[in-house]
Formats: sequence, C-alpha cells, structure tokens
Amino acid sequence: MESRHRRPAVIERWGNRARARATSPQFLVSLALLAVLVYLVLVPLVQLIWRTVTWGEGDRRLSPAAVEGEITGFHWTEALFGPSSNAMLFEPLANSLFTGLFAAVFALLLGGILAWLVTRTDMPGTGWLRPILIVPYVVPSFAIALAWETLFKSPRIGGIPGLYETVLGFGPPEWLSYGPVPIIITMSIHYFPFAFLLLCGALASLDSQLEESAELLGASRWTILRKITFPIVAPAFAAAAILTFGKTIGTFALPFLLGQPVQYATLATRLFSALNQGLDALGYILALVLIGITALVVYGSSRVLGGNLSRFETIGGKGFKGQLTRLREWRWPIFGATAAVALVVAVFPLLLLAYQTLMLVDGLYGFDNLTLHYWFGESDPELAEGEPGLVRNDIILGATWITLKLAFISAAICSVVGLVIGYIVVRDRGSWMAKLLDQISFAPFLFPAIAFAAMYLSLFAEARGPIPALYGTFTLLVLISVVNRLPYGVRTGTAAVAQIGRELEEAAEVQGASWMRRFRKIVLPLATTGLVAGMLVSFVGVMRELSLIILLITPSTRVLMTVGFRYAEEDQVQLGNALILLVTALTLAGQYLVWRLGKGRLARLRERSI
Amino acid sequence: MEATIEIRDLTKMFGKVVALDRLSLTVEKGEFLVLLGPSGCGKTTLLRSLAGLETPDEGEISIGGKVVFSAPRGISVPPGDRRVGMVFQSYALWPHMKVKDNIGFGLRVQKLSRREIELRVDTVLDDLAMGGLGERYPSELSGGQQQRVALARLLATRPPVFLMDEPLSNLDARLRMDMRSELKRFHHDADATTVYVTHDQSEAMTMASVVVVMNEGRIQQMAPPGQIYRQPANVFVAGFIGMPRINLLAARTQGDGWARFEAGDFTLPAPGAPPNAKVFIGARPEDVMLSLEPADDAVEFQVYAVLPAGPETIVHIRRGEVTLVARETRQLELKMDQSVWVRFDPSAINIYDGTSGELLPPEGGNRPEARFRMADSGRTG
Repeated sequence: MESRHRRPAVIERWGNRARARATSPQFLVSLALLAVLVYLVLVPLVQLIWRTVTWGEGDRRLSPAAVEGEITGFHWTEALFGPSSNAMLFEPLANSLFTGLFAAVFALLLGGILAWLVTRTDMPGTGWLRPILIVPYVVPSFAIALAWETLFKSPRIGGIPGLYETVLGFGPPEWLSYGPVPIIITMSIHYFPFAFLLLCGALASLDSQLEESAELLGASRWTILRKITFPIVAPAFAAAAILTFGKTIGTFALPFLLGQPVQYATLATRLFSALNQGLDALGYILALVLIGITALVVYGSSRVLGGNLSRFETIGGKGFKGQLTRLREWRWPIFGATAAVALVVAVFPLLLLAYQTLMLVDGLYGFDNLTLHYWFGESDPELAEGEPGLVRNDIILGATWITLKLAFISAAICSVVGLVIGYIVVRDRGSWMAKLLDQISFAPFLFPAIAFAAMYLSLFAEARGPIPALYGTFTLLVLISVVNRLPYGVRTGTAAVAQIGRELEEAAEVQGASWMRRFRKIVLPLATTGLVAGMLVSFVGVMRELSLIILLITPSTRVLMTVGFRYAEEDQVQLGNALILLVTALTLAGQYLVWRLGKGRLARLRERSI
Repeated sequence: MEATIEIRDLTKMFGKVVALDRLSLTVEKGEFLVLLGPSGCGKTTLLRSLAGLETPDEGEISIGGKVVFSAPRGISVPPGDRRVGMVFQSYALWPHMKVKDNIGFGLRVQKLSRREIELRVDTVLDDLAMGGLGERYPSELSGGQQQRVALARLLATRPPVFLMDEPLSNLDARLRMDMRSELKRFHHDADATTVYVTHDQSEAMTMASVVVVMNEGRIQQMAPPGQIYRQPANVFVAGFIGMPRINLLAARTQGDGWARFEAGDFTLPAPGAPPNAKVFIGARPEDVMLSLEPADDAVEFQVYAVLPAGPETIVHIRRGEVTLVARETRQLELKMDQSVWVRFDPSAINIYDGTSGELLPPEGGNRPEARFRMADSGRTG
C-alpha cells in the first residue's frame, strides 16, 4: 500500500489534475477561445510575413522570375534597397515618425495642461468644459481634416477657395493648406483629448495628502509641483505619451486627406495606395514596419514602466481631490483661454462643417446660397452628381443600417468574448492558459488599424481549408472589428469579473449549479453594467472606424465612414460633411449613454456586488 | 442522516507551500467541530477541500460513508453532489437576486417544484424570524439579516453537513454573541454535522463540541474545548489558546526534580521531566496567584502594569528579565512598581519538552505542590 502510494504520487497528482482540468467546461471554453484567437490574431500576422517573402499572384509584372508561392527576398530587397525605396519606404517612414512624434508631443502638452487645470486647480466651469474638450476625439479623425480643408483650402490644388481666402482675399501659403504642418496640427487636435483623459485619471487619483505633507514641511507650491506631483504622475505621463504616439503613427484618413494633394505620404497612406495599386507585398512590408514600430514602443515602454502600461490606460479617477491649486487673479483669464481653446478645437470645426452642408454651392458664403438640399433634397442632376440629400440617399441609408448593424453585432460579441476571457484571466490567474489568452487578446492593440486590415486582406482573400474566402463579406467586417476591439473588451471584462467575489460563485457551486449555470445566473447579471458600458464604448469605436475596414469594404458592405471618406475624396463636400455630422451625432449619443450608465441604476448594482 | 466525515492523509500544496500536510481527521455525526488556528494554518483549505472547492493533491475524504475525494483512486465528486451546505465569510449573497431567490437557488438547481420551493423558502424564513423579508435585495438588509439569509440558504437545502467559514467575523461584537447561540441551536435542530472555521478562540471555545487546533497544515491538538484550554498538547497550542497568553517560561531541569528558569534567579519543581533537559513551563494567568504579603514559598516580583478589565484585572509583573501575566479576580489595590509575592496554582502547571514542545505527561497523573525555591544566591529581593 505504502509503496504503491509513494512511487507514482507525483504522476498521479499530475494525472488527476490534468484530468479534472481537461474535462471542466471552463477549460474547454478556454481551449476553444485560444484556438479561435490564434487563428484570428497570430495566423494573420504569420500570413502577412509569409506574403512578404514569397511571390504573389500578380508579381509577374514585378519580375519575370516570379513563380507564385515560391520563397523570395525580392520584396524586401526592393523595398529596402531598390531604386524607389526612398519614395516607397523611407520617406513615408520619416514622415510618419515626424508627424506622429510632433502630434503626440503637442497633444500631450495640450492635454496635460488642460488635465491639470481641470482636475487640480480651482478654474471655474470644469463641469461643462470637460465633455466639450473630449469632442475632437469623439468625432471621426478626418472630420477635423475636412474642417481644416474648408478653412485653408488653397485653389492652387484645385477646387473652391477656403474660408481663409474668402475672408482675407488672398490664399494661404501652401504649407498651411497641405502637408506636415496641417497634419500635425489636426492630429494634435484629434488626439489631445485622448491624452487629456488618461492624464485626468492619473491626476485625479493622485492622493493630495502626498502634496499636503510636503506643504506641512514648508515646501513651496513650485517645489511641490516639481518634487512631488510631477515624479508621481511621470509614469502616467510617459504611458500617455506612448499610447498617444501609438495612435498618431497609425492614423490613416487624416494624413491622407491633408497629405495626398501634395504627395506627402506616411506609412499608413502609402500602405493604402500600395494595396490599391496591387503592390501587395510592398503594402504588407509597410504594415510590418508599422507593427514593428508600435510593438517596439509598447515593449520599450513596458520595460521602462515595469509592465504597468495597461494599468494606466483604464485607470479610473478614484477622486481624492483634496486641495486645489488656487489660480487667484489668473482664474478668469485662464478660464477664458481654456474656453476659447475648447471653442476653437471642438465647437468651431463642427459648426463649420454644419454650415458647409447648408451651402448650395460650396465656398459661397452668403444667405442666398443657403439650402437644405443636401439634407432633405431629392435627386437633382445639377447638384452633387445627382445624389439625393442625406435622408433620401439610399447609399447613405444603406450604409447607416450596415454601420449600426456592424457596430452593434461587433460590440456585443466583443463584450461577451471579452467577459469570458476576462473571467478566465481573473479566475484562472497564473495558469498558462489565462496568460496566453490575456496576451494574445492584447496583441491587436499593437497592430495599427490599417496594418491589421492588411493582415486580414492577405489571409481572407481566398478560401483556406474549411474557412471560405471572407473578403467582401459582412462577416469579415464583424470579425476584424471584434478582434480589433478585443484588447478593450478583455480589459472591461477583466475589471467586471474582478468585482464579482469568487465566493458568490462558490456559493452556487456548493449548491450544485453547473459552470454554465453559474456563468449565466451569477457572473453575467453581475457583470451587466460593465458589459453594457464596454459594449457602448466598442459600439462608438466601431462606428467611427475607417482605417480598419477601408481595405476590406466592397460596394455591398459600405459603412458610413467609408462612404463619407469617398465623398471627401470626390470633393462632395456637403454630403460628406452631413454624413460626418450624422456619425458624430450617433457617437455623441453613444457617449452620453455610457456616461449616464456610469451614474445610473445599473452602476448601483455593481457597487452592491463588491 | 448518516454524516460522519472521514479525512485520511490529506495533502494540499500551493506551489511549494504546504497547506495541508498528510492530515487525518474523523468528524462524528452530530459533532460541532471547530477548526481553529492562525491565518495560513490550512483550516480554510481543509474546509474548502471538504466542500470540493479545492482539490487536494493526495489523500481521501468520505462524507456519510461515501468517498467524495480520493487521489489514489482519482475520485473527485463535484461540490454540488457532496450534500454539504456552506456559509461563507462574506456571506456570498447574490446581490442581484431577492432574498427568496437567494434561498431558493439550490432548490431550483435540484429541480424541485415551484410550490415546494416556495414552501421551503417560507418555512426557513419563518424559522429565522425573517418572514416578510423575502422580497428584499441583500443590499437592503442589515449585516445581521444578511448573515441570516446566508444561513437560510444553507438550511433550505437541508444538507446533513454544515460547513462554515468564519461566518460571524463580519458582525459587530454584540450581534456575534447572539448569533453564536442561534447557530448552536440550528446545528442541534437540524441534527447536522458541522465543521466550523474560525481564528477567534473564544468563538471556538463557546461553540465547539470538539476543537481542532491547526498550524502549518497539521493538527496540533484535537480535544473538547475545556481540555484544549487546561491541557494544551504542545507549546504552540498553549501559546495560541488563551487571552491573555499563557506564561511560558524556558527552564532547565536539574538532577533533583527542580527546574531553573533560564532568565531568572529562581527554580520551580519539574517532576517527571528528564534531568538536565530544556523544558517550557506553562501556567495560565489565572494560575499565577498574587499576594501582597511575603511568604516562604512565594517569590517577589514588581508590578509592571495594571490593566483593569471589569470583572477581572490583568497584572503584568516582572522580576529581572522574567515577565509574568496574572489574572486577578479579587479587588487588589496595586500600584506601579510595588512588590507582590507570587505562587503558582500547582495543579495547573503544564511542562513541555524543550526541544519537541510536546506536553510531558505528569508523573503519576498528579503534580506535586509547585513552589518557588530561590536559586543558589538565596536572595529574596
């Protein structure tokens, strides 16, 4: 008995554990999720890399030596050392870094100052300034670009003069109309609320007792700011910088609209045109370069910040506001300046776009030129190439329907999958399965949207085994939207599950409830608030997503953003703007709901479950 | 309902930490067994292993004659099929369900008819004097009421075994006292076998029919509460049980049946202990008798601090390096630094082996008169 028990004890222990685990529903669900994630996240990446080192279908026109499917170093050699490598790779790379870095710095400065003013000073009006300051980030990125164009359009590029010329009588210098300067400015405007939100969270959660104890020791305000406040917020600041840069570098639509007219390309826009020209391998190489940069930045930062990067992203202000800095006689002037900034960056662009939709002929600013045609008019061959107004426009209405459907389905799937993964990550903490799921589901965060789209384009263009060619289908849009939002979905799910005490489930387990029943009856209802909030955030995110799907869209699957982008490209200014305002309105409504949810009845339920 | 619990050679590791170390234990039917020990001693792990919420690495558990866990045989019955009920420290009431749904959950899992469920829930609510609270949500109840709902949830499914994980630790002191007697009552009325985890020794003493003191995954002593207190099986139990702590003094036996305190200048008889061995001498504070007058068999100490606590007064006294704690029920007027003379209640002294820490059996069952004898110097202070 003794020897029988002793010898295989370790093996037995292992065997029993393995058996118990392998048959648990949780493990089976984990395994299934892992398989799906590997296919949707890792395989596309591998496929993308593979395509850059093999000959593709149309590559015969690049080189007569091309044999489809065979391995070649041609694409990389060409991209890195070929005659057009400068134009194809290095210039866009330099431009991306240049605009991305500057935009991130400006966004961070503006966002940082505003965050400090709003959270740590006695500046008046913070209650209503805060939501307004977030608007530029809520609107689609190229809305800001379009407003800029409206303002600074230069007739030398063609088309109607902008407001600047109309008012002043002479055109703006070209560097102000197109190229790096407007790209940097508009990108800063679009992304500063992102930094603002991150830093507000960090600053609000800063325990003012830390500052107060320094004050008691006789430190001056300035010393406190320098020696206490800043070092404490520094990691959050660094994290915000990195995350913002990660966003700016991958932006597509904005640099496309403001750079294309003067042939100023970034990695993202060059990637787009390369794929449009059938230079697939080059496009994929550009995508890899983009992914490489983001991965490098995130990896480097997690080394610097000790892996706390993701913590800062969802950090919630646990209000311990304490003492606010007194601005004294500067209180009102600073408020005035802040309000002016809010007006210029958030309200004015939208007003300008709105006004433009009311102009019968673009560029003529006068009362007799006002019309509601682009909103309500019927088709008129004289105007907008016969396209009827927004509410009668079948393309727009169809796209609205598809957009809402896409956003809703993706958000719902993403939330539920995020919850399940979050559940495994929390409840199975420390197991290899949980770690793997956590990390793979975070990986899409590293893929700039357009590079991710390129990956899916290369993977789903043709049927593979049991998986049909999904290119051009609605399913593919849903898939990519879900996976793209998954890092956020998992974060939300993890937070939601972490709030549900383990004992709540064990109490049900002791009473004989199965895993499925526990998940349905205990976890799901208690996670509802977090789930719905996360869903709305995803909903809004998917709705205004352009670069993620622009490569994957076909006429039958057009969504609002791609239709809007096409109008913008074709200079159908009024319709394009009307459409952007529609998206903006939908997004703001979604944001409002998220905000209400944070304070509503459901939020109380969540508090109870803690 | 047959509900004996048998645990054999149970081992559970968390990484390299041994939570349960080949632990064996039998809980008789109808017993109220309390697992007591410092945090991290394995008591909660043991309870959770019984419930099936934790899977041990080795050993066997059977409940009511049915093997519910066996590592060698690869048996692990899921928690729901073990016919145990559990009350959690946090109560673990589902905040999104009404009280009656909380209580009825297990019955719905068992697929009882709607009417039967309603009937049982109402009965249990009435039994716990909570009729009319069924429609409330847990967050709308007081702490004490929540505790009762947790209990009601356990009672509703009528399990033969009650498992309780520090169920009273979240209640305020007064409510806790009331609930103790109620829990005892329900245990008795349900004719259940109860395993109850706590780190609060007074709770253990008041409620248990048998106390199991645990440390480092092992059972240190298993005995009725009185015996745990009067005859702690080893130094750990002696030190763990009792408030204020037992006086535990390191000493070395001499050849003559006396032991000399290592840090003091006096000796005490230590019969039965091997000569020239290290021992610990344990005396409860109430066994340290103070007198204001000198006596032959008493040794002089100085009052270090006086801590009155209502019916009794705790007195800390010192002599050189030796500090003793005494419990005085008489109304003595003691001042700081004043001299007192100390004797031990001879029958109450326990002597422990200095290396193993185990209780040395008293010689012939009866201890000789325990008196101080001054050490060689002969000083009387």
